[in-house]
Amino acid sequence: MLKYLIILVDDESTSFCHYASRSDMSNLMAIDTLKKGIRFGMMENLMIQFVFPEKSLPIDYYEAIDTIDHGVLAPAGCPVNADVVVFNDWNSFESFVFSDVGTFVLRTELDKLLEKRNTLFSSLCRMTRINVVLTDIDRFKEEDFVRYDEFLSEFRENIKKLYLQGHQTQCNLLTDRIELDAMNNCNAGVDCITLAPDGNLYLCPGFYYDSEEPIGNLDEGIKIKNQQLLRIDHAPLCRICDAYQCKRCIWLNRKLTMEVNTPSHEQCVVAHLERNQSRRLLAELQDRGLLDKKKEIKEISYLDPFDVKEEW
Amino acid sequence: MEDLYKIQNEQWQSGVAKSITFIVTKDCQLACKYCYLVGKNSKERMPWEVAKQAVDYILDHEAEFKEESVIWDFIGGEPFLEIELIDRICDYIKLELYRRNHHWFNSYRFSFSTNGINYHEEKVQHYIEKNHNHLSIGITIDGTRQKHDLNRVYKNSERGSYDDVVKNIPLWQSQFPGSGTKVTISSADLPYIKESVLHLFELGIPEVNINCVFEDVWKEGDDKILEQQLLELADEIIDNNLYENNVCSFFQEHLGKPLDKKLQNQNWCGAGKMLAVDAAGLFYPCTRFAQYSLRNKKAWVIGNVRDGIDKNKLRGFLTLDRCTQSAQECIDCEVAEGCAWCQGENYDAADTCTAFQRSTAICKMHKARVRANNYYWNKLFRKLELEGIERNRAKEHVKQSQMREIC
Repeated sequence: MLKYLIILVDDESTSFCHYASRSDMSNLMAIDTLKKGIRFGMMENLMIQFVFPEKSLPIDYYEAIDTIDHGVLAPAGCPVNADVVVFNDWNSFESFVFSDVGTFVLRTELDKLLEKRNTLFSSLCRMTRINVVLTDIDRFKEEDFVRYDEFLSEFRENIKKLYLQGHQTQCNLLTDRIELDAMNNCNAGVDCITLAPDGNLYLCPGFYYDSEEPIGNLDEGIKIKNQQLLRIDHAPLCRICDAYQCKRCIWLNRKLTMEVNTPSHEQCVVAHLERNQSRRLLAELQDRGLLDKKKEIKEISYLDPFDVKEEW
Repeated sequence: MEDLYKIQNEQWQSGVAKSITFIVTKDCQLACKYCYLVGKNSKERMPWEVAKQAVDYILDHEAEFKEESVIWDFIGGEPFLEIELIDRICDYIKLELYRRNHHWFNSYRFSFSTNGINYHEEKVQHYIEKNHNHLSIGITIDGTRQKHDLNRVYKNSERGSYDDVVKNIPLWQSQFPGSGTKVTISSADLPYIKESVLHLFELGIPEVNINCVFEDVWKEGDDKILEQQLLELADEIIDNNLYENNVCSFFQEHLGKPLDKKLQNQNWCGAGKMLAVDAAGLFYPCTRFAQYSLRNKKAWVIGNVRDGIDKNKLRGFLTLDRCTQSAQECIDCEVAEGCAWCQGENYDAADTCTAFQRSTAICKMHKARVRANNYYWNKLFRKLELEGIERNRAKEHVKQSQMREIC
């Protein structure tokens, strides 16, 4: 059941996920489309998340947006109060003045993440939550998995220290899996859809920027073909998987495997490295009496469920 | 002798053999009216360099091709139009398997599906003589002259090809005794099924592998025509004891039962487990995903001879199961067993770019087949019982097809 409507108010609206906004597009959503989109969200009972560009919007846009309860995702540097602040580069991250109540998204390539990891670690105590999004998963080589695992191990130590100090910063890579008992993925096309500046509806912003076919518009409504393939029960690899924190990004799936319901090797391995480090973090925090002993993440022998598909 | 060649038919090493298909040409002498190859042309002929690169890539990556055996399949268009190229490829394969001490050495076959028109020509015959012990060749003949010439016509002339094919059947059967033929049924062919199958038996072809096309070509009432044809065919086969030495794949004992959602959830076809390469050196999960086979969708390319195979683009195929790609109606179907599908046609007909949406164009034809099949086995077993043959021994008296549905 749909719950969320993401509205990209401009082509330059920040990405908050794996996809990249297109720098060769710069259309501001028409004000009438914005108002229609808000009305659509109200009538469909959808929670609206507005995604802003760094630049300011005309005043009537802010007025229209304020007519509905909503959330805002905006890049660091955007002159609005955002519920989620997105860092698309490390300069903006390093120059940002953190409060201890913010939720943040850090989009980075692996090389940069490794290079700047201490900057991230030292900022954790000033965040409520951070989602780290790797933007180059599709180009990972086998040696990158090793480097990523080493990063996660170091990250785990830093999160553990914070927990011991009483500061429970949430991070999608390590703490989400500890809290989850079932898959909690992006669910584009199932929980949420996106209204793009062209007035059409898409599965997610990535499908808009890749010029994929829209799933409807504000006049004719939503018609998602083969919607069942977006659900977990129609994803053979994912439905038996317990890397519950995995984004299960259907845009990456489509791009790398050509099927929205089939994750790539890279996505699976990355998610399982995070799962396994979460398992270690859980055990360490349980040993310190900080987490319930009943919670369990089982030990498994694989990093990619595809490799053990004969055993299903 | 027949048993020997039965082993050497297309079911050779079924399940343990890798099937590698060279699309050596997209040209053919014929323009069959039901042909799914919408992009045939005389320009795309495989250069030797591409073929060699493909063989080198596959043999260089022995660890990734772990199957015990290999079937090197050559298709077109009409493969024998490129017999010189094929001969050179096969020589190179044999030499390289030996030179590399490859695990496929002496565990390989060369396989062809041909229209049979130039089967008798010297170059083809020379090739057959050279590779006979490792060869499987199927000639496609659709039945009577009338039925065959209805569809299998020369391009640009509409002249039927029956006479040019049938003259080569005795030579083919003498070289490959017991070999079967495959017959494809489209809407216009339905009234000729019975006489065509019987005609093929008369020509000395003991195994007729026959199926309805998977494309959405079926008209109102076609299922009734199919059912009637198969009922009459069943009577002819049983009343004249033809079941003892012949087989028509339309009749299979285990057809038309419900399927268990867990225990019988496997995919039907081998797309993704196979590998196809075309003249441009592009790899596909099966030839049906090459552009010349597709009406509505873009080719599903999984790599090329220079960069290799992108394994991510095979993950969907290798995790496909029956229920995930089927509509609830198909999952719950009481006569599901034996209802086939073609992954390429599923992809081509799907509402989105996916191989996970099963086409149901064949539904009513399958149900008609099931009704006729039930009649066939009930009549046959009763006859055998009356002849004093116990039901559980009856199977020994009936030649049965080992073939699954043909793409």
